[in-house]
Amino acid sequence: MLETHALWAGMALYAAAALAAVGGALRGRPVWAVPQVLVGAALLVHAVAIGLRWQRLDHGPYVDMFEVLSSNVWSLHAAVLVGVLLLPRLRALLPAVLPMLQILVAWLLTQEVRDTQFPVTYDTVWLPVHVFLGKLFLGIIVVAVGGSIVIVLRRWGRPDGFGALPSTKLLDEINFRLVMLAFVFECLMLMAGAVWAQDAWGRYWNWDPLEIWSFLTWLAVAAYLHLRVTRRPPPEVSAFAILLIFVVAFGTFFGMPFVSTAPHKGMI
Amino acid sequence: MGLAAVDRRSVATAPARAVAWLASLWWTLAWMALTAAILIHGQIAEEWSAVWLSVPFGGLFVNLLAALVVHERLRRQPGLLVFHLGLAAVALTAAGGRLTALTGSVEVTQGTLIEPALVDAKPAPLHPWRLDQVAFIQGAFRIDYDPNMQRRHTHSSVHVPGAGGRWETVEIGDDRPLKMFGYRFYTTPNKGFAVVLRHTDASGAGVTGAVHLPSYPLNEHNQSNTWQMPNGGPKLELWLHMPKPVHVEDAAWSFGLPEDAVLVVGVEGERHELKPGQELRIGRERVRYEDLRLWMGYQVFFDPSLPWLAAAALVACAGLAWHSVGKVRAISGDCDA
Repeated sequence: MLETHALWAGMALYAAAALAAVGGALRGRPVWAVPQVLVGAALLVHAVAIGLRWQRLDHGPYVDMFEVLSSNVWSLHAAVLVGVLLLPRLRALLPAVLPMLQILVAWLLTQEVRDTQFPVTYDTVWLPVHVFLGKLFLGIIVVAVGGSIVIVLRRWGRPDGFGALPSTKLLDEINFRLVMLAFVFECLMLMAGAVWAQDAWGRYWNWDPLEIWSFLTWLAVAAYLHLRVTRRPPPEVSAFAILLIFVVAFGTFFGMPFVSTAPHKGMI
Repeated sequence: MGLAAVDRRSVATAPARAVAWLASLWWTLAWMALTAAILIHGQIAEEWSAVWLSVPFGGLFVNLLAALVVHERLRRQPGLLVFHLGLAAVALTAAGGRLTALTGSVEVTQGTLIEPALVDAKPAPLHPWRLDQVAFIQGAFRIDYDPNMQRRHTHSSVHVPGAGGRWETVEIGDDRPLKMFGYRFYTTPNKGFAVVLRHTDASGAGVTGAVHLPSYPLNEHNQSNTWQMPNGGPKLELWLHMPKPVHVEDAAWSFGLPEDAVLVVGVEGERHELKPGQELRIGRERVRYEDLRLWMGYQVFFDPSLPWLAAAALVACAGLAWHSVGKVRAISGDCDA
């Protein structure tokens, strides 16, 4: 019961943080401490829900869509909070990023909550390593997506909005460097996944649907980085490229593992 | 790596122009796009060969080499250089591994030696065949299931040749392969019951062998197989009748031999029921049902590149991290790094 209450309280706090961020931006007098504190509180309460479930089922949130969404709602909000705490000049990204993450929150709340069983192929230290690196990758990409949304809105939406943020040119540069950092974690994530696959299924890479889409994500990031380094496209083009990367990565993270019947599901 | 970034005065000669052309960023993007197209087509068509990827991967490799020659900026950034060289090493190592690899599967009856000739092997063109040197005896194994047929870890004991001609016992599983002569043998969910039969011909010469019944519990309702008697004899239809199934649907259970199982043999329209130790006369020949055992299915994997692949990938990641850290640290500064 406490687990459910904590989950709902956490979701409510995430939503309140998003509302506070958007409300502050619309009023033109944002107090960034409010959404930051609310996200921090949501993370604590949500962590209690995740922890209680972990203790009850004796395994981490890795198995079904509810668990994967729940852990990603937590990690992506954490990545955003850490990002704006480390880089205060990006605090004004909160009204762009937090509402987007509420889509995940809403999706999570539509999921059936049931007890899951831990597949034997998941019983390896490489799973949490792989998942942690993946969350770092996606979390950093989400911060860059916030910057991209701001660039797009400045060009085609509210040019007067997000005044507290760096210039579009500087935001584009920051986005580029964030994606480069995310690329490091994506490479490491693929490596850890390959080691896990060798242990779990006796092959390190077999081009199963999830592996294909994770490689397509890798290609998309690599193509963006090459284009950005050598051609310096306009910030709007870079912003759309990052949004595309996010779409592919999102599909790989939240679509393929639950669409594919490949051994990645581990339920043998 | 764009042509525009190249000092055009240095690409005056035809070969230099060719190298600069091959180093173009547009080739990089084109090869990446072709890779993506092949992968997406493979997803849609569902039947494809990863061999097709050797074309864009080869193109990217040439593109990278040309870029290293042409673009001084790439050579001057050690982290970026290490990353790209590491990627090239990963590609070469993986290609070498694929050319020498072997994948396969084999079933081994408990208490018997693996028969390398029975491995359903798919060797790559340059595979150094040493499978016939592999020897191990399948020992006992234990597989526990949680309720709702959730398979847990497999604990399979195998006996391998040790020092002084003695056999040593090692425990392997799905994630702990037996490694011999570079081959890795992983246990799989594929396992079942083996009917051990002894055939004695008219002259009294006998031979003992095992007939594997289909994988259990996947084929719990089809525990049957056929065996063709030698010398043009009839084909035996074998069916294992289990009064009580081994598995339990909604409770924990362990895979093992069934209790009170009876071997039903159909031959030339007649039905016979045999218990271990009983035999059947067919003309002047005899078939004796020795006992019921278990068999374990193994996945066989050979790829000598694995440690080198991991090392190359680590070096590549280290190079990228080295390059990225300096860039990212500058975010909190003036972004001029």
